[in-house]
Amino acid sequence: MATVFMKWLETQPEQYDRGIRLLTLGKLQDLQEQLVELLVRPGMRVLEIGCGTGALTTAMAAKGANVVGIDLEAGMLTQAENRVAASGLDESVDLKHMDAALIAERFEPASFDLIVSSLAFSEMARDAQAYVLTACLSLLAPGGQLAVLDEVSPPGRAARFAVAAVHFPLRIITWLLTRATTHPLRDFQTTLERAGYRARVVDSHLLGSLCLYLAKPRPEDAARRLPDSFKGRLRHRVNLRTMLIDLWAVFFRIIPPYPKVEPGLYSVGEPNPDSPVLVTGNFDLTIRRLVKAIDTRLDVWLLVVDSSGINVWCAAGGGFLTAERIIGALRTSRLDEVVKHHALILPQLCANGVDGWAIREQTKWGVHWGPVRAVDLPAYFQAGRKKTDDMRHVRFPLLDRLEMVAATMGFYGLMILIPVALIWPSSFWPLLSALFGLSLFYAITLPWLPGRDGLAKSLPLSLFALAGMLLYSWRVDSTASPDIFNRFIGLTGLSVFVGAELQGMSPRMRGEQANWGWEAIVAVVLGLAYWLVPILLGWR
Amino acid sequence: MTESPSMIGLLKEHLDLALNLRALQIHFYPERCNGTWQCYEVCPVGCWRPDYEKRIVAFEHGELCIACGACVLQCPQDAIELKVPDD
Repeated sequence: MATVFMKWLETQPEQYDRGIRLLTLGKLQDLQEQLVELLVRPGMRVLEIGCGTGALTTAMAAKGANVVGIDLEAGMLTQAENRVAASGLDESVDLKHMDAALIAERFEPASFDLIVSSLAFSEMARDAQAYVLTACLSLLAPGGQLAVLDEVSPPGRAARFAVAAVHFPLRIITWLLTRATTHPLRDFQTTLERAGYRARVVDSHLLGSLCLYLAKPRPEDAARRLPDSFKGRLRHRVNLRTMLIDLWAVFFRIIPPYPKVEPGLYSVGEPNPDSPVLVTGNFDLTIRRLVKAIDTRLDVWLLVVDSSGINVWCAAGGGFLTAERIIGALRTSRLDEVVKHHALILPQLCANGVDGWAIREQTKWGVHWGPVRAVDLPAYFQAGRKKTDDMRHVRFPLLDRLEMVAATMGFYGLMILIPVALIWPSSFWPLLSALFGLSLFYAITLPWLPGRDGLAKSLPLSLFALAGMLLYSWRVDSTASPDIFNRFIGLTGLSVFVGAELQGMSPRMRGEQANWGWEAIVAVVLGLAYWLVPILLGWR
Repeated sequence: MTESPSMIGLLKEHLDLALNLRALQIHFYPERCNGTWQCYEVCPVGCWRPDYEKRIVAFEHGELCIACGACVLQCPQDAIELKVPDD
């Protein structure tokens, strides 16, 4: 149930165009048309960074350009492929699944007359923006230009406020409808100029919040300045902000938006060029727990890779943390200018989605699988980067199980209890106690319940209680039976539901999908019985 | 225009995935194994046991497998598959 909801939120590339059109009030399309009109000529070699669903790509190809489109989202690329095929432009369009950070090594120098990008730079971390802009300099043929169409945070407080006020409701509606949103660029003209371009705003819309920049390489800029890719030192700290995030995470960690850390290169302790490099995702909780575990014990470099704010295991499983992203982060962080060795230590749990051999083959970096838990890192290094079996196995101890009870309760609270409180207030407290009691029961007894999956583990309790209740109403108090029997069916359904939900929370079961079908069937049958039996027998 | 996925469509996809996930099993081809131990390195539940003398692994605890797919992805010899049995 939880995963269905999240999946629905996370994967809707088909909705993206609709969302962006809504969010930009159609002005993006106007600017794209203007860009094509102004800059694209037949026969031009064009690179489009972040081609998305291919709207601009096809428009440029239709005007006779040869377009290479790259995007990091496979779902978007599929949409783009369909669109290109539908317009019969396959000959002049080449779509590639690629991180923008890798363009300089995947394409020949000076091989494009025009590089365009629409709403892609605002998706990148600042390091990546600077790195990609530098890479574009080398890819542009003499006389080539860079056109960036993106959402920006307008200069001037009044304009910023007006845009925010108009945008806020629009943003919420768009996000709810399509799960698409944008992150405005700040002071992009300066970013362009620092990267070695002469840049100007060609046109803008919506109070300057949607801009088309045109940039030409500055001729005198032969010596490029390095962006400050190093983000700083991370320390274990507890303050009001971390406490609030922790409190949020206790109940709502499975509900997006996840608290994130800006991707890039950090240090923990005082590392030198020989110190080890750890890689992790950018979920705030992951990083703070990691830093807490190793601060003052180890001196390491920490490469934080964009995992969309998701923990490494889920991010790798869901395709958010990939070898491609790690290679991109290696480049944009300029890690090889910082350390002398070439050994990366990856969290073992991202091995389900990060192809270690792809990293080894495409870079000169070696990949080592570190321990599952950050607290084992000091012992891991002490043993000469050797893991014991205990370090490589996932456990689900009582404390973790209780943490998951809180997280499930947060989820039930939003999805079930709030609607119930609004519609049937009298059922709120019984339902809350039932959900909490059942979750707690399963969390505590989980290791000793028979069966391997959530459904199997929930059945004995349900059957035991059903038998007890029938016995009670038959032997002790037969007059109370109809009502009690009816309530009990509801409770059984609930316990099957809660038990099966546990599946998604336990790292040692095969995802909750495994039982989802049965969970649904049992819940529907019991729900119908709860509702229909009293009506058919005339109890109500 | 492609059809955008509805909640019902997603539920159905989920159900199909569920039926497959239940049946997914590790198939190990020991003759391809050359002992890089990557599967043993990454398995979070301890299905694999390395045999250092013969430079090979054994798929020892299949009952613990959670079908995460890590060993399949990291095996350089393609000696491991995760699939629904054919029959």
